[in-house]
Amino acid sequence: MSIILSILVDGIAYGMILFMISVGLSITMGLMRIINLAHGGFALFGGAMAHVLTIRMGMPFLGAFLLSVLGVVVIAAPLERLLYRHIYGFDELGQVLATVGIVFLMIATVNLFLGSTILAIRSPEVFTTAVNLGFKTLPFHRVVVIASGMVLLAGLWLLVEKTRFGIYLRAAVDNRNAAASLGIDTPRVYLAAFSLGAGLAATGGILGAELLPIEAYYPLRYMVLFLIVVAVGGLGSVAGSFFAALGLGILDTFGRYLLPDIGPIFFFLAIIMLLALRPNGLLGRAG
Amino acid sequence: MKIVRWTVCLALSAAACALTSGTAAAETIKVGVIATFSGPNAIWGKQFREAIDVYVAQHGSEVAGHKVEFIYKDVGGPNADASKAAAQELLIRDGVKYLAGFDFTPNAVAVAPLIKQAKVPAVIFNAGTSSINKQSEYFIRTSFTLWQVSAPAGEWAAKNGAKKVVTAVTDYNPGVDAEAAFSSTFQKNGGEIVEKIRMPLNTTDFSPFMQRIKNSGADAVFAFLPAGPATFAFTKAYNENGLRAAGINFYGTGETDETTIDALGDQAIGLVTAYHYSGAHDSPLNKSFVAKLKELHPSSRANLASVGAYDGVELIYRMIKAAGGDGPKAVEAAKGMEWESPRGPIKIDPVSRHVVQNVYIRRVERGSDGYLINKEFATIPNVADLGYSQ
Amino acid sequence: MTDLVTPRVSTRRAIPLFGSLWPIAIVILAAFAAFFLFPYDLAFLTRIVIMMVFVLSFDLILGYAGIATLGHAAMYGCGAYAAGLFALHISPDPLVGLLIGATAGALIGWASGLVLLRTHGMTLLIISIAVTMVLQEAASKARWLTGGADGLPGISVSPILGFFEFDFVGQVAFIYSVCVLVAVLVLCHVLVSSPFGLALRGIKNSASRMRAIGTPVYRRKVTVYTIAGAIAGIAGALAAQVTGLVGLEVFNFSLSADVMVMLILGGAGRLYGALIGTLIFMTVHHVAASIDPFNWLFVIGFMLLVVVFALPDGLVSLPARLVRFLRRA
Repeated sequence: MSIILSILVDGIAYGMILFMISVGLSITMGLMRIINLAHGGFALFGGAMAHVLTIRMGMPFLGAFLLSVLGVVVIAAPLERLLYRHIYGFDELGQVLATVGIVFLMIATVNLFLGSTILAIRSPEVFTTAVNLGFKTLPFHRVVVIASGMVLLAGLWLLVEKTRFGIYLRAAVDNRNAAASLGIDTPRVYLAAFSLGAGLAATGGILGAELLPIEAYYPLRYMVLFLIVVAVGGLGSVAGSFFAALGLGILDTFGRYLLPDIGPIFFFLAIIMLLALRPNGLLGRAG
Repeated sequence: MKIVRWTVCLALSAAACALTSGTAAAETIKVGVIATFSGPNAIWGKQFREAIDVYVAQHGSEVAGHKVEFIYKDVGGPNADASKAAAQELLIRDGVKYLAGFDFTPNAVAVAPLIKQAKVPAVIFNAGTSSINKQSEYFIRTSFTLWQVSAPAGEWAAKNGAKKVVTAVTDYNPGVDAEAAFSSTFQKNGGEIVEKIRMPLNTTDFSPFMQRIKNSGADAVFAFLPAGPATFAFTKAYNENGLRAAGINFYGTGETDETTIDALGDQAIGLVTAYHYSGAHDSPLNKSFVAKLKELHPSSRANLASVGAYDGVELIYRMIKAAGGDGPKAVEAAKGMEWESPRGPIKIDPVSRHVVQNVYIRRVERGSDGYLINKEFATIPNVADLGYSQ
Repeated sequence: MTDLVTPRVSTRRAIPLFGSLWPIAIVILAAFAAFFLFPYDLAFLTRIVIMMVFVLSFDLILGYAGIATLGHAAMYGCGAYAAGLFALHISPDPLVGLLIGATAGALIGWASGLVLLRTHGMTLLIISIAVTMVLQEAASKARWLTGGADGLPGISVSPILGFFEFDFVGQVAFIYSVCVLVAVLVLCHVLVSSPFGLALRGIKNSASRMRAIGTPVYRRKVTVYTIAGAIAGIAGALAAQVTGLVGLEVFNFSLSADVMVMLILGGAGRLYGALIGTLIFMTVHHVAASIDPFNWLFVIGFMLLVVVFALPDGLVSLPARLVRFLRRA
């Protein structure tokens, strides 16, 4: 019994990290309908900035974290104005090529300035202590991640479903011209949504760095992982991404714990089966 | 067919020309370095290249009247196709007399038929599968094999208080080698392996394995993982899941690599590993090596790749001194060579053509300059490649 | 999301059979020229030619049938391992080896196609990735058969047709690969200009319309996926024979991604687009990497952006663009 509980806790903690990192991608890819393979690049930028601020400049974690997320948004906004604005209009293959080009440039930039080794982020001492749950211990860092994941989920849900911005965004996505003719400033809505996605990527990159350490090739190394979470969750569904991330986290942990020999094979076969049965993901909109 | 024959003649005569001209005095001798300079594993090529820079800065680029020139080829990771094509280009167009580098096993094995045909020695700076050297007489290796460091680790652990050990290795060839080597000597010396855990190659979350290690009832864990994010996440998980607090000792090999150790921070302090090189090895030669590296590349740290390349170049210089560009003669000369390396005394074993060296037991400490270092505190002298006869 | 490839009404007329054989003639001429102009680079040129075969197979499914996957390495890898194992354990004959590689690629294409072609868009992408991952994990686990991460070494093949032995300089390997490329090109050409090829294009433009006129869309897709699998298997087998070793990286995600990038770069849906994209991508990569092995990614990144912004239809549209530009000027 305690084994199952322990797998569950580990799986949820892992899944929450997956959620944090991929929810931004779900927004850009699902709501804005753009194949943004450069998503991991924003996580990399966030992590790299946090590395420079905490390790090289000795800044405390919280300040560095906020500054890095802000920094990524500041980079993302002009990038949207200059590049992405045009990329929305490309067909999907053009979007793939363009965003692959962008992610290559991002990787090359980090590699040039910071090299290709792991860029550690110094987190507060308390993050590394173990919390005793009775049947197992859990690193405090994971508790923080689980809590911030819940906060993010709630915030995003409110933002997309309940605010004026959310209504504008969904309207602009469903029919850009109609939205514009109704007086919605669609370029600004897109700019805001894109910056939000980039900021979320940075948040996930920094908080998830304990598990998926930041290094120059981070966006390519984990691209498959992010895409899987978004696809299984269903495009355009924040809640879907959440359940997918949690489910995949638990599934992966379960496989590695109980079937270490064929864990990954089991994991990918399960994904194939699931997607074959539910082609639109867990909570995706049809079509 | 006639045209084809004509170009065959052209190409072969060029190759032959390149092959024979080596004996002439005061000739430039080219060394082709095949390694990974880009992609997620670019650190290997970077360390190689910087160590070569250091060696050349210290010893000049002339040996016995020959000017030595290095040509670098990027293969972007484990990629047999690219490695073989790069070797062909180096041998045919550039007429290199020596090949070097080779971070990954498939990249080395892919050139075996070529170096046999061209009779060109290939000095392996890293790729550590024992069987590589059996593929061609022309392979000589200045790195280490997992048998070479893991077997002494098992023996030392058994003699120093470990009773029950759980092994946790990445499920790929080097991991399996490490597991077999450690278990065999550990059991031979009275220890008990309570469980053998193999972790999938692309694991990012190690908590499930930490739980299994805890549940196994072992008093220590022996781990092997590929350098980079995997070792980072594993050692972090070891600390954060309370294994250290529970008194489960950590034994490893290259997990505390100098290029990633500082990312671990204080959590790494106290980890015990068995390895053939520490950047903090206490000898005048190592100190001058590390100092020169710092001077040329201030942000770099010497690790196993650096010393593999540094000694590899030393070996190439010695072979050039002995045989110029004559491949077979150079390999003969290399057999049994001995010299003092930054890692300590080393010797090229005449049979396996692999380096015989000391294996050190080290513990991670904070060095006087603020960096984390692997402090050596015990030595197992003159270990050969124990995996060659496996 | 709908299909990854947005339906685009083709404005080009049906290609007359002989009118477009010129790419094949150009390939042969270019291969001849390259053989004599770059006698020292044949190993690298051979890699380009093999990759061209691979990208061509991907063009069949992405460019013609509109099926976007990120797991094309699955078929390439199976072809490579099958040909390697066949040469090691059964017979060293290279041509039979190619056939075995093609069979393996076709089999895996057929089996995975049955599942993944029922889906589209993002789901199809992810399933194709997952299939490749399963194969890579399986190859990694089956060390006794594949050699695992160390690779499957010592593959050597007998002289081609009993005459031409693989030589040190790589001339035979190059000519052999070019012959295979030309054969594949002719096959693809016949295929895409056949009624089957037209049906594929129809499916790409509007699957529902094709369904309405009675075309079994799913079956056509599985068929083309199987054929593309066979060709990808040939490419893998060729690589295994030329290199003499097969490593786990034949199943890498980055290989599948590179293939997609090369095809889009050249221009999907045109056979010579696949060839040009491969040639340009690999040559730029090679040259940039030999000038600066650490920072060549900048060059590739810029190239992709420039191409996608200046030539949205890929490099093949460059001549037409130039002509239009000159006329306006």
